[in-house]
Amino acid sequence: MDFELTSEHLLFRESVASFVKKEHSFNRLRALKDDPWGYSKDVWKKMAELGWMGLIYPEEYGGLGLDFTFVMVLLEEFGRGLLPEPWISTVLLGGNLVLAGGMEAQKEEIIPAIVAGDLFVTAAYLEDGGRYDLNFCATSARQKNGGFSLSGRKIFVLDGCSADRFIVTARTSGATSDTDGLTLFIIPRGASGVEITPLKTMDGRNTCILDLKDVSVSESDIVGKKDSGYPLLADIIDQATTGVCAEMVGGMDASLEMTVRYLSERVQFGKPIGSFQALQHKAADMFIQKELASSVVCYAVASIDEKTEERTLAVSTAKAKCSSAYPEVTKTAIQLFGAMGFTNEADIGFFLKRAKVTEVLFGDADHHLARVAAMKGY
Amino acid sequence: MKVSYSQDEQRFQEEVRKWFGENTPAEIRDQTLGGSTLDPDLQVKWHQTLFEKGWIAPEFPREMGGAGFSETEQFIFNYGYSLSGAPRLKTKGLSLGMLTPLLLQFGTKEQQEHFIPDMISGKTVWCQGFSEPEAGSDLASLKTKASLEGEEFIVNGQKTWISMADYADWMFMLVRTDSSGKKQEGISFLLVDMKSPGITIRAIEALTDHKPFCEVFFDNVRVPKKNLVGKINEGWKIAGTLLEHERLNAFPIGELLYAIETVRKNAEKTRYRGKPLLQDEVFRRKLATLEVDCDSLLYTFFRILSQLKIGAAPGPGASFLKIYGGELYQRVLDLNLEAIGPYAQSWYNIEELGNAVHQATMGWINSRSLTTWGGSSEIQRTIVATRILNLPRK
Repeated sequence: MDFELTSEHLLFRESVASFVKKEHSFNRLRALKDDPWGYSKDVWKKMAELGWMGLIYPEEYGGLGLDFTFVMVLLEEFGRGLLPEPWISTVLLGGNLVLAGGMEAQKEEIIPAIVAGDLFVTAAYLEDGGRYDLNFCATSARQKNGGFSLSGRKIFVLDGCSADRFIVTARTSGATSDTDGLTLFIIPRGASGVEITPLKTMDGRNTCILDLKDVSVSESDIVGKKDSGYPLLADIIDQATTGVCAEMVGGMDASLEMTVRYLSERVQFGKPIGSFQALQHKAADMFIQKELASSVVCYAVASIDEKTEERTLAVSTAKAKCSSAYPEVTKTAIQLFGAMGFTNEADIGFFLKRAKVTEVLFGDADHHLARVAAMKGY
Repeated sequence: MKVSYSQDEQRFQEEVRKWFGENTPAEIRDQTLGGSTLDPDLQVKWHQTLFEKGWIAPEFPREMGGAGFSETEQFIFNYGYSLSGAPRLKTKGLSLGMLTPLLLQFGTKEQQEHFIPDMISGKTVWCQGFSEPEAGSDLASLKTKASLEGEEFIVNGQKTWISMADYADWMFMLVRTDSSGKKQEGISFLLVDMKSPGITIRAIEALTDHKPFCEVFFDNVRVPKKNLVGKINEGWKIAGTLLEHERLNAFPIGELLYAIETVRKNAEKTRYRGKPLLQDEVFRRKLATLEVDCDSLLYTFFRILSQLKIGAAPGPGASFLKIYGGELYQRVLDLNLEAIGPYAQSWYNIEELGNAVHQATMGWINSRSLTTWGGSSEIQRTIVATRILNLPRK
């Protein structure tokens, strides 16, 4: 066992950090608040030029073929600066689904385009009434004219307002909550019967409601095997969940750093308020939570890298921890900033909102705790 | 980064599991949750069993009598050790966990050769003389005085909260050798034979009804000058390093893993509305929360441990392990009592439940001490804030 980063990882961290510093700021987030996308294609293209879209993809599709620890480093830095570009949805969800389950023709068409920064792909799997359960799917795929006709509604589709392709779950057999009978289909944005309704999140990112009304797809639009989409989706969501956990660790680190700076500079009663024990102890608790989360995310990342048998347990353990720690850390930060923390003038509020969004993204703490309990045999 | 074990490491894991399963006496296992209440005779016996196996000091090199394990092997070893229900040894924590690394860093060659082998074999038991009635969290206010007369120090004063002072052969202690300057300057570090004339011991009864610690009175006790560790009046720096080792050792990772297993077993046995309590949705959630926190701490512990070289000071990082480890252990033992329901009020075993009841209630009461001894959680939080986060001091 070993949680050390190599010098390549450390160098990569430096270059991501300097990119985020150069291309991004909290004022940029303020400016993007009402933007329909919540990010910019210019920055995305620059990221693509650095090869980051292909970070973990095989070289035969134009990728760099690096390990998942690089994902951790990248997303920790994105999390520190709150970079809004849709790397998780396009690379870890859309692209990864195609790569893991797609036919050769699908891979050749989609992966190099993602690597070039020319294509946004996301996954649409959540439905009203299913909370975080991936198997909950009322969207139907009925056989029609040698292909399928899809009808249903997906909610909170990550970066759905800007996606060029959607990989959707639809039921080819079984009942709404069955694990069997799910099939993944690729649908282009402009397909007939597709309706997109924007659903902005509190941190200014874009998600959408995706309505499908008799959308026609063919056999060649299936990703993976018919009726067995669930294990494929679950495995890819595990990876994306680990990615978002790394982002959360970066966010905790930045929130703590910002809070410590404020406590050291703000003077009341003739002293920096950070000299008061009541406040010091809250800051110490923020630090402890961040450290715990960071270690358990290393465990999840290494488990993904090595494809260990217990990787799903590791991922749920990490997400349960991050989903409780990040909100806790940022709520404490807001408290320590006093009235300033409640304003849009201070930057710390961005982290509170991001913490809430990432807390529920891919399942909240309770959802993952239930999985942990089940996997531990109770 | 790497998380899975090699084939050799897997074999080692199995060996550890098997050995502890076969060699941990039931009488010891039954007292594990009680922590520091474990009978000193049993502690010494268990220490010697581990020594004979060559496993008493996993982190020390073999030529010193240690096991010479790699960091990963240490992790596997500690995990297997803990889960077997074998108790962590207070005797070992003081002598091998704290004093030995300190002597390696600050002691003379003669001191190292004279004291370390007997600590490793378990032949000598040590106690720690730091706290005084007027010097608890504010340790530097200590008053026990040692004046140098020729080749001897003459020690006068009082120490308190000394675990196993009535059993130990030796004490390492802090004394005041100069009161003229700042209170941190003028403190020295001495090794004292507990059989020395002039030492009086009074045991203190704890909430557990045991007498785990004592007051120790010094009346003109003579200590040879060669038993001074480091330089005179420079004991505070040595003590600081030692306290970091103490905090690292105070971290109850072993008890935590075993306690979680105990909660689980108790919840499996306890019936609630026709089913095992373990299947109750609310209870499951509570236990899973603790498991997640415990795993988070375990991997953090490993991360910190892997940064440590033998003899190196753990640094302020040890403080947060102690804070969180102690508080988490208390939460686990709270849930353990919740699991046994109305039996939680009992102080005695009830036939049908075996030793579970007394072990649970005793462990629960004993766990209250974890967030005070070795520096309270509040003191530790201040250390984290000022020394890790660099927040301004008052």
